[in-house]
Amino acid sequence: MNSMNNIEHVQSLMKDICSPIKENIIDQFQIAYELKQDDIHKTLGYLKNAGWIQLSYLSAVDWPDTNEIEVVYILMNWKKPVHIQLRTRIDRENPVMPSIISIYEGAKYYEREAHEFFGVKFPGNPDYEKQLILEKWDDMPPMRKDFDPRQYSDAHFVGREYSHDFTELNNQPSKQAKRQQRKTRINSLDKGGK
Amino acid sequence: MKSTKFTELTQEQIDRKWWEIGDFFRRNSLWMLMYCTGCCAIELPPAMTSAYDMERLGMGPMATPRQADVLLVTGYLSLKTLRRLIYTYEQMSEPKYIVGFGSCTINGGIYHDSHVVINRLDRYVPVDVYVAGCMPNTEAVMNGFVDLMDLIKSKKADGWKRYHDNYDWYKKNQEEALGEVRIKDEFHE
Amino acid sequence: MREMKLFLGPQHPGMHGNAAVHMFVEGDIIKKSYLLPGMLHRGFEKGMERKTWVNNISLIPRVCVVEPDINELSFALATEKLAGIDVPDRAKWIRMLIMELARITIHLMAYGGLGSPTGNYTLMHHAHADRNTILNIFEKITGHRVYHQYIVPGGVRKDLPNGIEQEIHAFLDDLESRYEEYRRLGVANPTLLKRIKDTIMLPEEVVWNLGVTGIGMRSATNKAYDIRKVMPYCHYDKVEFDVPVSSYSDARSRVDLKLQEVVQSIRIIRQVLDKMEDGPVRVPLDKGQAMRWRVPKGYVYAPIESSRGEFGYYMVSNGGTHPYRVGVRGASYPQGLLGIEKYLPGTRIDDAALWVDTMGVCSPEIDR
Repeated sequence: MNSMNNIEHVQSLMKDICSPIKENIIDQFQIAYELKQDDIHKTLGYLKNAGWIQLSYLSAVDWPDTNEIEVVYILMNWKKPVHIQLRTRIDRENPVMPSIISIYEGAKYYEREAHEFFGVKFPGNPDYEKQLILEKWDDMPPMRKDFDPRQYSDAHFVGREYSHDFTELNNQPSKQAKRQQRKTRINSLDKGGK
Repeated sequence: MKSTKFTELTQEQIDRKWWEIGDFFRRNSLWMLMYCTGCCAIELPPAMTSAYDMERLGMGPMATPRQADVLLVTGYLSLKTLRRLIYTYEQMSEPKYIVGFGSCTINGGIYHDSHVVINRLDRYVPVDVYVAGCMPNTEAVMNGFVDLMDLIKSKKADGWKRYHDNYDWYKKNQEEALGEVRIKDEFHE
Repeated sequence: MREMKLFLGPQHPGMHGNAAVHMFVEGDIIKKSYLLPGMLHRGFEKGMERKTWVNNISLIPRVCVVEPDINELSFALATEKLAGIDVPDRAKWIRMLIMELARITIHLMAYGGLGSPTGNYTLMHHAHADRNTILNIFEKITGHRVYHQYIVPGGVRKDLPNGIEQEIHAFLDDLESRYEEYRRLGVANPTLLKRIKDTIMLPEEVVWNLGVTGIGMRSATNKAYDIRKVMPYCHYDKVEFDVPVSSYSDARSRVDLKLQEVVQSIRIIRQVLDKMEDGPVRVPLDKGQAMRWRVPKGYVYAPIESSRGEFGYYMVSNGGTHPYRVGVRGASYPQGLLGIEKYLPGTRIDDAALWVDTMGVCSPEIDR
C-alpha cells in the first residue's frame, strides 16, 4: 500500500467520525485537521482504535488577536505511516480542555507542561497543576505572547556592564550613532537648518 | 662545621609557609566535581578520557562535593540549577575554586534575554577563572585549568575568601534572583 | 522495612545530564520514583519566537547537547516544508553524511556511557576517543566541533572540504575493524553481562502504553519502525540499510542494538560518499534579504529519526519574519518522564542509572 492511499484512508476515516472545520494535506505523510472542541475526544478515541496508537506531541499555540488558544495533538500510526495533526481552538481568558489521559496515557506530562507554559487547564489529569519545569514561578505563563522575557530578565537578573571603550571600536562612533546623527541632520535640514 | 642560623618566624609567617606547601600539592592534584550544569559539559569527556587525558595535569573527577576542590559551572544556569549549585558550593570544603565555562556565565551569552537564565554568575558565587567561547573547545578547557593552577600558585584564586568577606552581598543577590535559596518541593518536605 | 527517600542527581556521576531522579526506596527496591526535570530550562521555545528565521540557526543546535544535528535538520525540514523550498541533490547527501556521523558519535557516547554506572572505564575511554575523532572530522567540515550550525534552510552552509572523503573512509575502516573489540568490551563482556542481562525489561505493551520510540520500541516489538524507513526524508530511500531489531528488550539488547546501528551507519556513509555527485549545495532563500525572509502561513510537523527515537519540530508560521510558535517533540519524553514514574518502581536502586542510560533519556530536550 503506498503512502498516498494512507492519506485517503485517513480522509475516509475522518468522514465517518466528525465534520472537521478545516483540512489540509501537508505532504504524503502528514495531514492536518481543525476540529471543534467537543469532537476531540471522540476523534482521538476512534483514531486510537484505528491504529494511531502513539501520541507524538501535545502542545498549545497562543493567538491573542482572536483571543484564542489552540491545542494541538499529533498522532502517529506506525503500520500506516501518517502523522495526523488535530487542532482545536479554545477560549483564551478561561482555557479549559478536558484531559485525554484516559485515551493516551503519555499525555500526562505534555498536559502538565502545556498548563505551565500556557495556562491551559486540563481537568481529568490528576496533577496538571503541579509545577514541572519551572520552580517558584511568580508571573504569567511564560509562553503567552504578551509575556516579555527580556523585561523579566532585566528586572530580575542584573547583567554585566561594560565600560565605554569596550563597546566602541577604536573610539569611533557606532553605526547606530552615525545613523542617528544623519537622521537629526536631515530633520534639521527639513526645518531650514535649525 | 658551620652552623645554620635560624631566624625566628612569627606564627603568621609559619602559617603562610605551610599554606604555600599546601598550595603546591593542591594545584598539582585538583579534584573536580562532576556536576554538569549546562551544555559546555560535553567538552569535558574528551578532556577527561584518552584523547586529551586530563590526568596528566593531576586532575580527576570526584563524585562528592565534600572531597572536591574545583566546581565547574559548565554553561548557562537556570534558577533551578542555581539553587542546587549554591547548595553544592557551600558543601565543598575550603579552599575551593570555581571555573565558569562559556559566554553564558560571563554575561548571559545567547540566553541573555531568557526568563530563567541568570546573566552574571559572579554576582551569586565567586568565580576564579572564566573560559570563554560558545562552546569552548577542549584545548581552551585544558588551558583554563592550567590558568587556574597558575592563579593558585600566585595566590590570586581567592574566590572562597571573597565569598567569606562579602557573604552578605552574595546572599542578598542570591535572594534577589531566587526569592528563597532553600529548596522546597514535593520530595524535600 | 522503613521507606527512605533517595535522590539520583542532579550532582551524581551516574546521571546523564542535569536532571534528578527522586526515589522512595525500601531496602534496595524502588517503591516510587519520578524525574525532576527543568534544571536545563532556558526558555528556548520563547527565544525562538523572538528571533528571525535565519537568526534561529544559531540557536537551534543548542536544544540537545549531545546530538545537535537532529535539531538543525528538523528545523530545516520544517521550514522548507512551510516555504516550499526544494533542496539541491548534493545538499541532501551531505545532510545524510552529517546525520549518520552524528549518529555514530551519540551511539558511541551512549555505549561508552554504559561504562560509568557499571564501572567499566576502559569502554568509556575507547568510545570517547573514537568520538573525538569524529568531532575533529566535523571541525574540518563545518568549522565547529559540537554545535555545527551547518544544516540551514535551503541546503547546507558550504561544500565539503577537499580530501575529507579519504579521512572519513580511513576512520570508518578503523572503527569497523574494532567492532569485535567493542563487542567484547561491552555487550559480550561476562562481568558486564551479569549487570545488564535481564534487567530493566521493556515489554511490548509498555512500549505502546508509554509511546516509546526509537531503539526502545524496536528492541521490544521486533519491527523495523524507523522514520528513515517508514517515511524517508533526504535520500534515505535511495540507500540500502537494515534496521536492527530484537524481540526481547533488556538493557543488554538495547545496548547491542546501538552497536549494530553504528555498523549500519557506516554502511550508509559509504554509500553516501559513493553516490554523491557534484553540484550546488544551497539555494538562496529570498532575493537578497535573508534576514527579512517571510515564510508563508502554515502548521508543520517535521519528524526525523534521532538516536533515541522520533524527534520533531512543530512549527507554526503566521507569514511573518519570525516563527510564530516552535514546539520541540523531544524523543525522550515518554521514557524519561512517564516511564520513570510508572515502570521504574519495582526495580533496584542501581537500575535507575542504567534506565537513564540505556533508554536514552536526554534532559536538555525534555527541559528546552
